[in-house]
Amino acid sequence: MLNRRDILQKCAALGTVLIASQASSEAMLAAFQDHEKQIRKPTPRNPLGPFYKRLAPVNDILRAPGDPGIPLTLSGQVFDTRGDIVTDATIEIWQTNHQGYYDVDGYRYRGKRQVDKSGAYTFESVIPGHYPDKSRVCQHIHYLVQAPGHKAFVTQLYFATDPVFEGDPVKNYARDPLIHTPELIRPVMLTGDPNEVHAKVRWELCLERL
Amino acid sequence: MRPSLAILFLLHCLAVAGPAQTARQEKTIDLPAGVSVELGTISHGGNVVAAICSDRAVRVWSVHSGELLRTIEGGKEPVAVQFSNNERLLAVAYEIVVNEKGVVKIFDIDSWKAQHDFADEAPVYGLAFSADGRHLAGAGFFDSYVWDLPARKKAATLSPPFGGSASVAFSTDGAWVATADGDTYVRVYDASTGALHSSIQGTLLEPMTVAFSPDGKTLLAGGVDKTIRVIEAASGKISRTIPKQPGLVSSLDISPDGKHAIVVYRSAERFNDVNHLALWDLEKGTILADFQKPGITIAGNGTFVGDHYLFAVASANQLTLWFLP
Repeated sequence: MLNRRDILQKCAALGTVLIASQASSEAMLAAFQDHEKQIRKPTPRNPLGPFYKRLAPVNDILRAPGDPGIPLTLSGQVFDTRGDIVTDATIEIWQTNHQGYYDVDGYRYRGKRQVDKSGAYTFESVIPGHYPDKSRVCQHIHYLVQAPGHKAFVTQLYFATDPVFEGDPVKNYARDPLIHTPELIRPVMLTGDPNEVHAKVRWELCLERL
Repeated sequence: MRPSLAILFLLHCLAVAGPAQTARQEKTIDLPAGVSVELGTISHGGNVVAAICSDRAVRVWSVHSGELLRTIEGGKEPVAVQFSNNERLLAVAYEIVVNEKGVVKIFDIDSWKAQHDFADEAPVYGLAFSADGRHLAGAGFFDSYVWDLPARKKAATLSPPFGGSASVAFSTDGAWVATADGDTYVRVYDASTGALHSSIQGTLLEPMTVAFSPDGKTLLAGGVDKTIRVIEAASGKISRTIPKQPGLVSSLDISPDGKHAIVVYRSAERFNDVNHLALWDLEKGTILADFQKPGITIAGNGTFVGDHYLFAVASANQLTLWFLP
């Protein structure tokens, strides 16, 4: 917990003391606390899983032409807990193919990219399959999110359309023992005609500052 | 060649090509109706076996008589069990609820009273005692911990940049603790302070298990890349890689003379299938003995007893103990 003296010193270090010097210390304190207020909650973490592979290529088009499975567009923006856009974040994702198999020999369905100037990212992929061993693990995509000056985190995106949730992910999310909050389960927008369905999922991510 | 002769010829070739030694079943322990074993461990001396059962109880049996010594029941779901080397303590880690506190209890196996109860940390799922029984380490999804048991407090928090740890192991003298980390590194720390000694990078895929040799000079690591890395513990230098493992390397036990290792494999295609282990000659890099049985699960760590390796196998309603010569 910061005391008043700590806060004044921090304000000075942040270069706000010239602006604040004409205001009262109470106003300075209020301004600082407003600035520090958590506008966004950090994205919930989730375990890394056993198939992370180092040195994934810079690539946001993970779906090759003709790949089986439901095409998927993942998108979102990266913020910090103050609500500011993070413009230098790197997002790495990895997932199984539509049948639930990871590529450990190569880098299929593995890629990373930097967000753009608006903190936005997009990946083109397919909806991953369930693991073939019929374990209780739901369909998921692994995320590793890193940015200078921020605490890196690992998490997983799950799909509200996963049959395991039986249409009610808020009620049934704990059927997968690794899902501790329904926040990790994202709505899926399906577009196109029944023969050519395309899925779109958005996920805004939030990093904590170091 | 007629089909029947061809089959006989193939069987003959397989018999010749296969390892000379196979495991033998030593004892069968029947479980209560409807109960199966999910994970087990055999004590260092080979005298007791503990198992997490499907009814959320931890059961402990005598290896020699098969007698049930204790059933530890509690509300939470146990996820890991480990004996201290002197067979006096049994550590049980409970329930992984991500982002919530974890519970580790340490029972005295004479009185079965919980001597320690660490409830203020994140969950862990891999446990290891130091050889002198003074420290316990737990590997977790995000951080790993070392607890000082006589002082009844956490001695160190081991935090990789991301990804947590799959396995943790102490050097024989208890000075070092190694972790197999999700970000693909093996890390070695000072066990009493948690100060990082070395970070060893050698594979693109993550290690799942680490083990120190009995003399503490060598560290073995294996994992998803289907190799075993032999690492000089003092320098962190990878001295050798034993490739061509027949599956994902799930756990490693090194023999007391440091010449052999038992390697337990997970299937790459069906991750929950753990039904294969092999005895490796570490110097020659060859398999000396092999055990694989569809439909069963090798239930956690075994132990070397003399020249044999004792391990537990879970199947349906039974726990069976096997010796690999």
